[in-house]
Amino acid sequence: MKRLLYLLNRVKWALISIVFVIVLNFFLFRVLPGDPARAGVRDPRLTAQAQQALRQRFGLDKPVINCFESLNPLKLGGCLENPLDTQFFIYVGNLLRGELGTSYQSGRPVAEMLGQALLNTVLLIGIAQIISIFLGIVLGLVAAWKSRTIIDFSVLVASLVAWSLPTFWLGIMLLFSGSYWLNLPVMGKMTAGADFNNNLEMFLDLGRHLLLPTLTFTIVVMGEYMLVMRSTVLEVLSEDYILTAKAKGLNTFQILKDHALRNALLPMVTIIALNLGFTVAGAIQIETVFSWPGLGLAIFNSVGRRDYPVLQGAFLLIAFSVITANLIADLLYSYLDPRIQAEDNG
Amino acid sequence: MLKLRWFVAVFLAFSMIVTACGGAATAPTSTKPSDQNQPSPTKEETKPTEPPKPSILRIGRAGSEDTLNPGTAMLSEAWVTFELVYSALYMQKLDGSFTFDLATSVSASPDNKVLTYKIKPGVKFHDGVPLTAKDVVFSYDLYKAHDDFPYMNGYTKYFDKVEAPDDTTVVLTLTEPIPNIESQLGYCFILPEHIWSKVAEGKAATEFQNEGLIGSGPFKLVEYKQNEFTHLAKNPDYYGTVPKVDEVIFQKFENRDALVQAIKTGQIDMITEMPNTAVATLKNEKNIKLVTGAPLAPDITDIIFNQVSPENCPKDAKCAGHPALRDRIVRQALATATNKQELIDIVLLGLGAPGLTLIADGMGDWYNNTIKDYPFDIPQANKMLDDAGYKDVNNDGVREMPDGQKPLVFRLNWPSDSTVAPRLAELISKTWEQIGVKTQPQAVDPDALTAMCCPTFDYDILIWGWGSDPDPSFLLRVMQTSVIPDGTSETGYSNPEYDQLFDQQSKEMDPVNRKELVWKMQEIVFKDVVYLVPFYSQAVQAYRTDRFTGWITDQPKLALDHVINLLAVEPVK
Repeated sequence: MKRLLYLLNRVKWALISIVFVIVLNFFLFRVLPGDPARAGVRDPRLTAQAQQALRQRFGLDKPVINCFESLNPLKLGGCLENPLDTQFFIYVGNLLRGELGTSYQSGRPVAEMLGQALLNTVLLIGIAQIISIFLGIVLGLVAAWKSRTIIDFSVLVASLVAWSLPTFWLGIMLLFSGSYWLNLPVMGKMTAGADFNNNLEMFLDLGRHLLLPTLTFTIVVMGEYMLVMRSTVLEVLSEDYILTAKAKGLNTFQILKDHALRNALLPMVTIIALNLGFTVAGAIQIETVFSWPGLGLAIFNSVGRRDYPVLQGAFLLIAFSVITANLIADLLYSYLDPRIQAEDNG
Repeated sequence: MLKLRWFVAVFLAFSMIVTACGGAATAPTSTKPSDQNQPSPTKEETKPTEPPKPSILRIGRAGSEDTLNPGTAMLSEAWVTFELVYSALYMQKLDGSFTFDLATSVSASPDNKVLTYKIKPGVKFHDGVPLTAKDVVFSYDLYKAHDDFPYMNGYTKYFDKVEAPDDTTVVLTLTEPIPNIESQLGYCFILPEHIWSKVAEGKAATEFQNEGLIGSGPFKLVEYKQNEFTHLAKNPDYYGTVPKVDEVIFQKFENRDALVQAIKTGQIDMITEMPNTAVATLKNEKNIKLVTGAPLAPDITDIIFNQVSPENCPKDAKCAGHPALRDRIVRQALATATNKQELIDIVLLGLGAPGLTLIADGMGDWYNNTIKDYPFDIPQANKMLDDAGYKDVNNDGVREMPDGQKPLVFRLNWPSDSTVAPRLAELISKTWEQIGVKTQPQAVDPDALTAMCCPTFDYDILIWGWGSDPDPSFLLRVMQTSVIPDGTSETGYSNPEYDQLFDQQSKEMDPVNRKELVWKMQEIVFKDVVYLVPFYSQAVQAYRTDRFTGWITDQPKLALDHVINLLAVEPVK
């Protein structure tokens, strides 16, 4: 019962956050200066009449919200008879029907565009996250156990360097060296127009394209995991129960696995959960360097053109993944450390 | 222990999801035109026992089509593809002039308002359906009917009616004679009526994705993935010269350094753009030929002076420009204090020529090459300002207005996505300082800049630019008085003589006379320094010499991705 209450409480807050994001998402882009009917294109051929036609096509001729014509510059407008015939309520109505609208730029449904992009991002980031979580935990654990040795020192330096490397720069360096020495592809997800004889060839091609961006991402994220893991394990190892375990005659492996690791995982879960949410967006730099057709790139390409529907959709997806990841972390917490839900409800 | 296992299970489940997603992500989700519409001969012919490998030309570029619908497309990459896939009555050559494409002859009525075109007989669309004059009429009517087609609608502005008395005759009636009909019809691509008639009405036409892209041009679409690549194959039934390459793939690079690296490592065969900083390394690269020349559609970088006068200030506009900039002498002094050669050497790394007006050297005959540029001369510029009464009355190194009040301190803004502007701003500020003019340089978000610029006129000096068009009317237009209120005029320049010449040239049917008018207009705006054009940059492109040969690079314009080039190149034997 207590657990159920805790769970419901968490879900309630997650839902409230999402509603907040939906509203904020809409107004955020509209207070920015700029006009999607002109953005990105400066051309005398684009007459005022053509711009007006574009605005009508995008639904931007309607007031943003009742009694307001635009938000930047703030312009009051006449109040409508039907207050629901505004950009905001049309947007909310579409969302309730599960529609994210169509891209101003390409005229394609946003859901279709972002769906494909999200899969590509999850593929790239998912693999990199798994590798970096695994390596981060193992190396952090080893470094803490062998603290103040050459191993610890090497791990510490390596993780500090990895963590502080600018993602963009690291990506470019790997791109240059990987394409030069190993002839790895420098862009895209697959060789365009390739005629694969079988699935294996296709997967190999995908793998070759994945290698450099995954490596970049792994290096960048792994450092953080190693550092956090190392410091928490060091803290845990100084606890009395570790001394007790040693006194009981347990071997190193057992102490690390059953006593140190489990207790050290709590902060890791927080960081991993936060990272999982944010990495969906955080891949912008890597996706730009390697022209990887993911969500980050979709955002990057839409900002310049003020493609509101794509931006709204993408930000909603990111917010949704951050909130979900946090929710999962909260729930995981209560499993990993039963004290937490007791405190929460108490 | 149980909980740890649970954690591991979550882990495993996550990795399985990722793997599953991976599988899904690799499934072909792009548009492949159905087989009956678009047989892909090169691929199907490779199935038999001895597969001749198709020659694939890979082109790297930094942009991609925004959409394949010619009605709604706005980016130049889309136009490159349309010219390869569609036919039009005319096509542009690499010297800037137009030649017949689908048309074989034209006759005009005495008043030049009725044009009768004969088109090639026996032409077929990629799906095998014959192309007739009815398709031409349908296409023109479609463009004309949709004012939500931002560009296509403009090309049909002077069309009154279009008729097809028979399958190979098109009769085009204009509302008034226009001298540049070729450059309008050259981009009015002929769409297949049997496909487009279903979506011709209202919103359906703008929402149509046109991902089958059935045309009648030398290439046809094989596969299109938006923002990734466009895969074309040669059209063996093309009515003109059939391409010598089997397939062409345009790949979009988000990162220009990767673009350069890709041609170096042979992952692509040609690139249409690169950062100027890459020129030096590519020059020395084995198997790579670097070519420079006037671009097909020159991109002009310009320095814009806010000249709008109070009487021309549009309704609701701020018109908060510095009053000194409305004085032609100040603008001339600024032009005289601008070291164009230094700008070319530093900003463009030497890859450019000094600029005069918006009509660039790449515009062929329209470019007035007799205009004598203001020589870089600081003492002369100082003298001009002294004589006009702009003196430094308070000895702070900055001149004041002749009434001694407002100092000559100008806001200098440029779009934050510009790569050349920051350096340009720094350099011109330095030389202008020597004539007692101070700038306040600041990059601004492009959209915010549009909001400041026009028709608000809340700026002093901007560094920006225009894309251009084969016909000079396109950029001469932006300096007319009549376009001040609609935001097309950035300068607020107003000169009745210029306006009158503009109207005259837009009706002058004789090319020689029209050229004279256009040259005269350039002289006027040069003397008035409506814009200060620091340079004309060159197109820099490169191709691999070990893959394809036959590139045309000796023409007045350089465009390796132009249809004429892609028809000419062939694989290296």
